[in-house]
Amino acid sequence: MFESPLFWPAYVKEDVLYVLDETLVPSKIKYIPVKNVKGAVAVIRDMKTRAFGQFLVVLNTFLLENGPGPLRTRDQVRKIKHLEAVAEQLNNSRPTFPFAEVTRIVVGAAKKAFANEGDVSVAVVKTVQGFLAGIRARRLQRVRQIADILQDGDSVLTHCNVSGELAMAASLAIAEGKHIKFFATETRPYMQGAKLTVWELTQANAKVTLVADNAIGSLMADGQVNKVIIGSDRSAANGDIANKIGSYQIAVLAREFGIPLIVLTQPSRGVASGGDMPIEIRDENEILAFNGKRIFGNKVKGFYPGFDVVPHQLITKAIEIHAGL
Amino acid sequence: MQDYKIKSIGLFHGILSAESLKKVKLAKSERAFVCEGRPGLEAGKMTTGAFLKKGIIPTVISDNMAGFLFFKGLVKQVFIACQYADNKGALCDTGALIMAVLARKHKVPLTLLVAEHRTRFLGDPKSILSFEGHRIAPEGTHGYVPLVEWVPAKYLK
Repeated sequence: MFESPLFWPAYVKEDVLYVLDETLVPSKIKYIPVKNVKGAVAVIRDMKTRAFGQFLVVLNTFLLENGPGPLRTRDQVRKIKHLEAVAEQLNNSRPTFPFAEVTRIVVGAAKKAFANEGDVSVAVVKTVQGFLAGIRARRLQRVRQIADILQDGDSVLTHCNVSGELAMAASLAIAEGKHIKFFATETRPYMQGAKLTVWELTQANAKVTLVADNAIGSLMADGQVNKVIIGSDRSAANGDIANKIGSYQIAVLAREFGIPLIVLTQPSRGVASGGDMPIEIRDENEILAFNGKRIFGNKVKGFYPGFDVVPHQLITKAIEIHAGL
Repeated sequence: MQDYKIKSIGLFHGILSAESLKKVKLAKSERAFVCEGRPGLEAGKMTTGAFLKKGIIPTVISDNMAGFLFFKGLVKQVFIACQYADNKGALCDTGALIMAVLARKHKVPLTLLVAEHRTRFLGDPKSILSFEGHRIAPEGTHGYVPLVEWVPAKYLK
């Protein structure tokens, strides 16, 4: 099975976290060395990594901070305080992804170890490594589930990028003799669909066609799509999800044209519904300029919400990974 | 709900001239939002230019952001550039169907505005592979670029 670099875009080696710079893919496969929480926050905030990559960065940052530095102290109270400070910085890096739900797991394990007179550092390493191993196994299981959902003759629309899972599922399905077409939305303004999704599906030997974000209505009305598969950045207790901007209108159109919407989710009870999720509003210049050059008239303004909420009523099927959030 | 400092939006889709915009009336608090119109970005450039001529400063969004504005209840009116219309529907720039479906779902009034005819229904597939002259998609990628689409009358009522 083809494994996309986007499936596991960050790893720790010798006290350095290497994070795939997703803004450079497919032109370059380059990993950014991150040595501390400050660097971790920077790669998240600057969107060098996103989606599942953020999850990996958050967990692995605790391993970094477990290296030479504050956690080497024998003072367990200081260790806990440092971990809490690290968590706080990560939690505030971007608003929509549930960073606090991830950091709480590590800090909670450290506090539990402290309460049981165990070693906080050992607890952090065990928790993070155990968690990562479990997530990897469950994501591979989900890839199998997606491959089973893909049927011979399917024409699948996807949006933004689902961190390697769809491409891996496509490679499995193709190996099983299924003929499947994919349409990938461009996903303005960062164009993750045009860069990442098209690239990794092509690497998986899948047939993929790139369309503008505004072409989804034409595709659906013309009967060119029979399934929609997207990821999600956050889930609410009622099943609502937040995902890349554009997901809501895709979901509405899919329902209108009777096309099933399949969402890859990580269930969480952190918030009751999608309305409780803060939506990040990013810098207008990310729409108004490209490569540092202004695209539209000087007086024209821009507005860039980074995510949409998709109400659970519009979701046909959620393929879940229970990440313990 | 978060405070976006925007309370009321007139949402515009397609390539509209200053002449087409003459019929448009926006409330004082209403901001004009324009979908950029990939791949050519003609709407983002020309329609915004037409607004500036009227003394209105427009806001550009990417084509995937309209849904967010509807979901948040910010869109009060939708205006769509239309090249041809009869009692069965309207021929509009691609993306208009999204606007029309969203407008109907969210019970937002929709107005068709006369626009210039496009001479082609399909664009160059290569046009979606680049952005402002810079290649984005990897070599070998196939593109599909419908330039116009039919919006059935049921979405225009």
